[in-house]
Amino acid sequence: MAIINQATKELQVKIVYYGPAMGGKTTNLVQVHDHVQTSAGNKGKLVSLATSSDRTLFFDFLPIEAMTIKGFKTKFQLYTVPGQVIYNTTRQLVLRGVDGIVFVADSQYEKMPENVESFQNLVDNLNSLKIHLAEVPYVLQYNKRDLPNVAPMEYMDFLLNNRDVQVPAFGGTAHKCEGVFESLNMITRMLLQKFITQSVPQYA
Amino acid sequence: MATLPQLIEEDIQSLDETLREFLAQTDATVALILDKGGFLLTHQGDAGELDLTTLGALASGAFMASQTIAGLVKECDFNHTVLQGAKYSLYTMNVDEQCLLVVVFPSPTGIGVVKYYSAAAVRRLARQLAVARERDPDGGLDLSEMNIANPEEFFRKKTV
Repeated sequence: MAIINQATKELQVKIVYYGPAMGGKTTNLVQVHDHVQTSAGNKGKLVSLATSSDRTLFFDFLPIEAMTIKGFKTKFQLYTVPGQVIYNTTRQLVLRGVDGIVFVADSQYEKMPENVESFQNLVDNLNSLKIHLAEVPYVLQYNKRDLPNVAPMEYMDFLLNNRDVQVPAFGGTAHKCEGVFESLNMITRMLLQKFITQSVPQYA
Repeated sequence: MATLPQLIEEDIQSLDETLREFLAQTDATVALILDKGGFLLTHQGDAGELDLTTLGALASGAFMASQTIAGLVKECDFNHTVLQGAKYSLYTMNVDEQCLLVVVFPSPTGIGVVKYYSAAAVRRLARQLAVARERDPDGGLDLSEMNIANPEEFFRKKTV
């Protein structure tokens, strides 16, 4: 849940990158960290709690400060979850307090079952926190579009974006920073839109 | 998941005052109140070079992981955790359903004094948070002047 701190004039927002293992969630954060335009001191360190083989063990974390809204500094906390199936408890922990989600899917045909399973896992984990998917702004990023065996985006929409309300979906090649900022800016736009249309908690 | 209380200036002043007293009693270096989602609500003490944002995210994640471990060993919860280092140690204690108290203190101080005084401090913090929860202030920040139709303005990519 976003926090507005009236004393320090800060708005804090949590965005979680979710998706199947090896889909490019950590790469998204690395690219944001490496390429985002910020003033000095507005970008924190990218913290990765990873295994020795660079697989995410707990989460990756990137604090970053963006624009000022009516005198309020907006601080974004970007998290990834571990994609591997065995780390489901960790994914539930990271989702706590989430404001927006970027679901990073792997575009390769053979990864479609994992994409669908991961998305259903996201729905289930949100439900375990008493949150319904429809309540949380999210976008889809169909990553790895540079590989030869990718499924058409329309097919991925059919699998992952086939609900009453379709959400924005972006093709991406995260390691080339393609689709990364588009996804991040869209989820930011969507969650700020949500704040505008509803009351938000206020901290002194 | 329960919602966080809406805090006003008076709440933060009270929370800060409790933290200041606690620091004076224990000689701890810095004390933080965190939301369990990883957000830093307020802190007191000499943070120096400490990156409190990252510390808060990691401490919150670690504590919440310990609660899952508690369930695995058939415990209701682990009320606090201690990370002990050669120079500094870190003590994390549950305040209420939404918040944590995290204390960074010099290891020679010893955990005993921190634990002893934290009990009363946490009660005061929880009481103030309960007061805030029962209050119903008009919250909200009018963001309507933002031009959210143009998402390009949020995060810009560096041009090489």
